[in-house]
Amino acid sequence: MPVPLLRLAGICKAFAGVKALDHIDFDVRAGEVHAVCGENGAGKSTLMKIMSGVYQPDAGTIHFEGRALAFSTPRVAEVHGVVMIHQELNLVPHLSVAENIFLAREPRRGWFIDRKRLRADAQRCLDRLGVAIDPDTPVHVLPVAQQQMVEIAKALSMNAKVLIMDEPTSSLTEAETGQLFKVIHELRHDGVAIVYISHRLDEMSRIVDRVTVLRDGHWVSSGAFADTTVDRIVAQMVGRDLEDKFPPRRSHPTDETLLEVRGLARHGVFGPVDFELKRGEILGFAGLIGAGRTEVARTLFGAEAKNAGSIRFRGEELRIRSPIDAIRHGIAYVSEDRKAHGLAVKMTVAENVTLANLRAVCRPGGFIDFRAEAETAQHYIDALGIRTPGPHRVARLLSGGNQQKVVISKWLFRRARLIIFDEPTRGIDVGAKYAIYELMDQLAADGIGVILISSELPEILGLTDRVAVFHEGRLAKTLPTRATSQEEIMHHASGRDTGSSQGAAPMGLPALEPIAS
Amino acid sequence: MNDRQKDLLQKFAALAGLLLLVLVFSLTSEAFFTVGNGMTVALQVTSIALLGVGATCVIIAGGIDLSVGSVLALAGVLAALATKAGVPVPLAMVLGVLAGAACGALNGLLVTRAKLPPFIATLGMMLVARGIALQVTGARAVSGLGESFGQLGNGSLFRIEHIDAQGFPEVVFPGIPYPVILMAAIAIAVAVLLTRTSLGRYIHAVGSNSEAARLSGVNVDLVVLFTYVVSGALAGLTGCVLMSRLVTAQPNEGVMYELDAIAAAVIGGTSLMGGVGTISGTAIGSFVIGILRNGLNMNGVSAFTQQIIIGLVILLTVWIDQLRNRR
Repeated sequence: MPVPLLRLAGICKAFAGVKALDHIDFDVRAGEVHAVCGENGAGKSTLMKIMSGVYQPDAGTIHFEGRALAFSTPRVAEVHGVVMIHQELNLVPHLSVAENIFLAREPRRGWFIDRKRLRADAQRCLDRLGVAIDPDTPVHVLPVAQQQMVEIAKALSMNAKVLIMDEPTSSLTEAETGQLFKVIHELRHDGVAIVYISHRLDEMSRIVDRVTVLRDGHWVSSGAFADTTVDRIVAQMVGRDLEDKFPPRRSHPTDETLLEVRGLARHGVFGPVDFELKRGEILGFAGLIGAGRTEVARTLFGAEAKNAGSIRFRGEELRIRSPIDAIRHGIAYVSEDRKAHGLAVKMTVAENVTLANLRAVCRPGGFIDFRAEAETAQHYIDALGIRTPGPHRVARLLSGGNQQKVVISKWLFRRARLIIFDEPTRGIDVGAKYAIYELMDQLAADGIGVILISSELPEILGLTDRVAVFHEGRLAKTLPTRATSQEEIMHHASGRDTGSSQGAAPMGLPALEPIAS
Repeated sequence: MNDRQKDLLQKFAALAGLLLLVLVFSLTSEAFFTVGNGMTVALQVTSIALLGVGATCVIIAGGIDLSVGSVLALAGVLAALATKAGVPVPLAMVLGVLAGAACGALNGLLVTRAKLPPFIATLGMMLVARGIALQVTGARAVSGLGESFGQLGNGSLFRIEHIDAQGFPEVVFPGIPYPVILMAAIAIAVAVLLTRTSLGRYIHAVGSNSEAARLSGVNVDLVVLFTYVVSGALAGLTGCVLMSRLVTAQPNEGVMYELDAIAAAVIGGTSLMGGVGTISGTAIGSFVIGILRNGLNMNGVSAFTQQIIIGLVILLTVWIDQLRNRR
């Protein structure tokens, strides 16, 4: 058995007290492609970032070529030959291919850049990959697939021995993926070790030698890909046990249709999508990142323009052109990225709570009744158990879970009739999660429509009545939550039909299936 | 220490600095601490403060307005030309203010509709408005406007004088100049608007996080537009006041005033990142600049040295603000 090129042992990493990685062991050998699998939040990205020097582990050791090392910065890792290609590519759009490949490492002649050598060296790197890209082309005119090749060429120019690729095929077409895999084969042949992260499990059989599965920051398994199956990997990723992390459901779906969406579409982004929501029901949106769940929600809320489709809400046909329209009709959206879209962090708790319904605490002439405002805020602080010294605390200083409750309070005060929760528990500790779950159940019991977008399948299974599974901008399948499993959801989310065998091309989209009521 | 106390401390620090300036200048120059000079300073500060109030609104909402110096020249010139054409003075001045508001509205539309960066939109307006002001006057001052045109800038309330034994008028109390009254009234009105009304809250929300504000149902474009209209209208008013004081309309008036206005806001604690700022702070900032100029003048410090000192004061105050916010 070959000696591992890079070996990590007992790696631990915590962020703000939350364990992202717990005693992870991982190794990669020269000339192999090693896949790392896991759900969103399993710790894959954190592990990659520790390998490439972006993060420092709290505990554990890194051995490279048999020596214990510390990658204090990405630059140190690169000097040793460990190079990461991020999902969002790190290229300077207006510089040429050659300039990007040797950015900050340009060959010099005296004080000046040796342009001739720069070009020749870049050409050599591109030739090694066997791709026809002119080194003088500005990067921004290249398609994403070719930009990725430039990233790989850049890695080669650093004499990369370990190449870490985070979701390299996420924005590639089938043909482009094929070319990438050819390049990966070449590199492997040359003895480069490749760490490969992807959600597209089907692709893996084409290139992967070994696979390591992570779940909730724990190591689950490592082994030769030939010895396992995609189904077993999925089972290991999601885990079998649904822990008792969810409150009992008190609300029950009624026959009354609250929301009916037909043919909702946005060109080039998603659709057409059909679904409906009953009063008292919690509907889950599952799918991989980029499957179009957030886009559907934002379009429903008027934050993005729709190209087609009708929205019937509480028996009324709605015309929604902006969030103002949606809010007027009682639709609310708790955004995925709290700090960027949900909360005015420089403003106080009270100011955030009343922002969407300021008129309710205003006297004639638009003068704010500060006492009424503070009382309102205090009411929600008590009702939702928001931990803050008072209503005049600046929102930035609250913890993630409490910030989320402030956002929810805002919509409760606006008397929202439908609340779309987009990854509501991301970055929130376990206790606060439970409180948010209870709140969602309570809302549904009160007759408020609840849509839950979540990448955490246990959350979907523990909370929803039905789950709409999205895949590449389409609603792949709607499943009754009670009768489904994480495996089934993952199969639909990754574009595999339950019946199809391994190696099915990800192009084969399942038929569009509207929700049957 | 909570944020309210921190804000108070910051404000008192600025106020203490201001008082220190007054104290130092009072000791170095006998003529400084007098009622007459006080009114002179107040009069000089009006233009910075009026523009500063507008700048504060725009900056809190996350924008910037570089056009006010030119817009005030255009507005003043138009008011003067209207007067020359026979329009009654008060009406002519209202026209001037409206011209300023129109420029502001155009700025706002360029920012919200054409999606230009505020810096570029108002930079363009700065050149265009100045160009029009020079064009319509042929780059010459508009004079011969009559006494009534000078009333707004030179008149004052509660002026007390009596005729002495020789028959010359003796000024007991120079009165409160109209521009100072105007400045105080507008500063208070805008302060109330910003702190006590829903519109003011929306201005803060847009500057703090415009996407969150939009997703909360705030009409972000309208709020942004409003701040530019306020800034433009106040520039127009400042133009009328300045031209009235000279009883002459100068198309070259107000060059670089936008920078004084922004400096006043920034010294007063307004964050160029948006979302944070107060009118009281801007008022203090305006007086810091005004008193520095006046006091340094009285001590015979050259205009060049004054620029250096004011520049350093801006750097120092913003640096202190950065230190405060970094934690």
